[in-house]
Parts: sequence; C-alpha cells; structure tokens
Amino acid sequence: MNYRPFDPSFLLQSIPALLPYLQITLFVGISSIVFGSIFGILLAKAKLSSIGPLRWLAQGYTYVMRCTPSIVLLFIVFYGLPKLVDGLFNYQIDDWDRSVFAIITFVLLFGAYVSEVFRSAYLAVPRGQYEAAVSIGLTPLQAVIQVVIPQAMIIALPNFGNSVINLLKEGALAYTIGLIDLIGKGNLIISQNFGAYAIEIYLACMFIYWVMALLIEKVFFIIEKRLDKGQTLKTVQTVKQDKKRARLFLIKGVKFHGPGS
Amino acid sequence: MDLDLDFMYETFFKILGGISTTLELTILSLLLAAPIAFYMAVLRLNDAKISSGAVRVYVSFVRGTPIILQILLLYSLLPSVLNTIVQTLGINFNVFDAIDPFFYAVVVFSLNTIALLSEVFRSALISISKGQLEAGLSIGLTRFQVYIHVIIPQAMVVALPNICNITVNLIKGTSLAFLMTVKDVLAIGKIAASFGYNYIEAYIDVFFVYIILCTIIQVLYTAAESKISTFRAMHV
Repeated sequence: MNYRPFDPSFLLQSIPALLPYLQITLFVGISSIVFGSIFGILLAKAKLSSIGPLRWLAQGYTYVMRCTPSIVLLFIVFYGLPKLVDGLFNYQIDDWDRSVFAIITFVLLFGAYVSEVFRSAYLAVPRGQYEAAVSIGLTPLQAVIQVVIPQAMIIALPNFGNSVINLLKEGALAYTIGLIDLIGKGNLIISQNFGAYAIEIYLACMFIYWVMALLIEKVFFIIEKRLDKGQTLKTVQTVKQDKKRARLFLIKGVKFHGPGS
Repeated sequence: MDLDLDFMYETFFKILGGISTTLELTILSLLLAAPIAFYMAVLRLNDAKISSGAVRVYVSFVRGTPIILQILLLYSLLPSVLNTIVQTLGINFNVFDAIDPFFYAVVVFSLNTIALLSEVFRSALISISKGQLEAGLSIGLTRFQVYIHVIIPQAMVVALPNICNITVNLIKGTSLAFLMTVKDVLAIGKIAASFGYNYIEAYIDVFFVYIILCTIIQVLYTAAESKISTFRAMHV
C-alpha cells in the first residue's frame, strides 16, 4: 500500500460539496425536534396525570427508550414498520422516503428524553405559584399556561438545548439506512475516490457538526438570558439563587440527558 | 405481520453470547478513561491557562461531534498511522492483519468517555468545598493523601449517578462497534438476520438484550450508591 499525506486543501474543498446536504440533516433534525417536543409534552402530561395506568405507561415507555441504542430503534423502525403497516392495513410503505423512517425513530427517542426534561421543569416551579394564581381568580388552565409554564420553560431550557444537540448528533446515524444526508454524501464522495480522502471527508463532517453544536449552544444561551429579563420583580440575587436551586433540582430529577451527554 | 418466533428464540441465545464483548468494551473503556479524565478535571480546576484551554477544546469537540463520525474517522485513521509508525521503526509487523478491531473500538470509546467523564469529575470536584482540602493539609496529610482519603470519596457520591448515565450511554454507544467489525450484541444479531432476511426478529431480540443489560447496570449502580452514601457530606 502506498501512502498519501493528509491533504488539508481537499478538506476545505469538500465542505462546499457537503453543505447542500446539510439541509437534509437539518430537515430530519428539525422535524424530529418539533414533533418530538409535542410527543414529549404529551408524555410529560401523562407522567403527571393522576390516572395510574397512563402514568405507568409513559414511565415505562421512557425507561425502555433510555435503554435502547438509537441505531437498534432505527433498524427496528426501518425494517419493522413497513411490515407492521402491511400486516395491519395491507398498505405498502416500503418505497417511502428514508427520511420518514429516520424522523419517526428520532421522534420516538426525542419525545422520551424531553418528556423527563419537561416533567422535572414543571415540578421545579413552586406549587405556591399555581395556588397564588388561582387565588386571584385565574382558572386552573390559565394559571398553568400563564404562570407555571413560562417559569418552567426557563428551567427546562438548558436541558432542552442539550437534548437538541444530542438529537442532531444522533441524527448522524440516519445514513446507516441509506439516507443521503451530510455523512451519506460524504461516504459517496469517499467511494467516488475509491476509498481515498476518508479522513479529510470525515473531518470536514465533524467540523460542520461541531460548528452547529456550538451555534445551538450559543443560541440557547442567548434565549435563556432574554427570558430571564422577564423576572423583573425579583432581585438579581434571588434569580441567581432560584436558578441554582432549579439546576440542582434538575440534576437530581433528570437522571439521563440522552445518549452521549 | 408474522414474526418467526422459533428464529427469535434461537437467535436470542446466540445474541446473549455477544454480551461479553459489549461489556468488555464498556468496562475497558471506562477503566482506561477514568484516570485520564480525572487528571483533565484537575487541570481545568487548577486554571492553568494553556492546558485547561486545550482540555476545554477537546471536550467541546468530542461533545459536539457525533460518535459515529468519531468511529468512522479513527477507524480509517488509526490503522494507517500505526502502520506508518511501525514502518519507520523498521519493525516487521503487519498492522492490518495483526490488530483486532476490538482494540480500535476501545481507543475510540475511551477517547469519547474521557471527555464526558472529565466534565462529570469536574462538577463533582467543584461541589466539594475547599475547606476539605485545607483541613486535610493542616492535619499533615499530603495533597495526594487528601485527594484519596477525603476528596474523592465525597466527590464519588456526587458523581456516581452521572457515571451511571455515562455507563448506560456507553453500553448503548458500543452498539456502533459493528461498524468496526467488532462482534458485539448488535453485530451478532445482524449476522444471524442476514441468513434468512429475518432482520426485524433479530433487532427485536437485540432490543430486549439491551434493555436487560441496562437494567442490570442501573440496579448495580443503585446498590453502589446506597453503599457509598456513608461519605455523603453532612450538609446535603
């Protein structure tokens, strides 16, 4: 075997070739985050509900999802779902776009992760806030929507941001079912060059992911700062203390931040 | 939808054979990563400018990139780097045949775990008040002794739940080792499935094996937590 030195210029050249495929990665990621959050809210609601079986079901589901490697779930959805739909409704979905299977998988996973984030954030808001709101004449629904949830959102934000970054990283697995996303395209370029340039291409993909992760972190940090401004009635000191307390609570309350966190 | 239950039953026991590989990979990576991660955590706490900056970049890079890319990169990088080293040293040794891919997997997962663990250790060490170190030094212990006998036991109480997380995530992460042709739980399932195209049955088996594995790990950690809680600081 003969060797070729590492070629940084190829790394730089490949980034423009890879970037158009970032939108597929982002499409899968953002759809999963949006639908997964809705699913997560429903799951969190089920976990907080007073109906026993509903609570157990949601908790059991979250537990199972935490123990499942994403790639195994992705394979189960990709191979199993068409069979299941065919068996139940006699309808073929084999030819659906692969991104659909990826999105379904990540919605199932993301819902489980964020349901814990939402649940613990909701519980971290002192009960007195709700009681105070109801006592001044708000309906329970109004109290929850206008008083409890805005406060819970701030508490949930750092962990939600973590989950988003983790989801984007998990999304990298989608190429294993043949989706041509960022890494899928990277692999195509590598095979076009007969296996050469693998290191450069993978490094380029890693840099794109890294920049994305840093940007998301920054964005969530800015949002957190913004939302904090709402707490005008509190002195800076108590806001700080509250946040500290909330964070401590979250560390105790949320056992998992999803894979790779 | 009809599942081939006989196949599932047979394959389940075949897959159980892969647990040893999965666990070896997990435990070896954790053991290799722990001391280095601890050293990195101390470096960051000591605020040495260059080294703590380097550690920060490393941690950020590992946490900001998908593990699958780390695997793909190192799996194409490590063998050729090793080969170049061996050839320049003039040793007659064929890297591509002689080294088990398991070795590369250990390297990848250790490098990944180092970054995650160092953050856990750092936050655990921050939670121990400086007075503990000062008190230990004042009664004549060396710095090393204070760390071993006073600080680490207390920090472990804080760190253990997070280490449990990392272990569970690592077990899940090792499922990607099949990309490096390591025969772990998922790889054995995949191979068994490919004979008769029974993918879905095999993956459901794998799914159950991982749930059982993770449950056992979590039970063990909970037991360890209750054992170690004697070191819990009074004020907590």
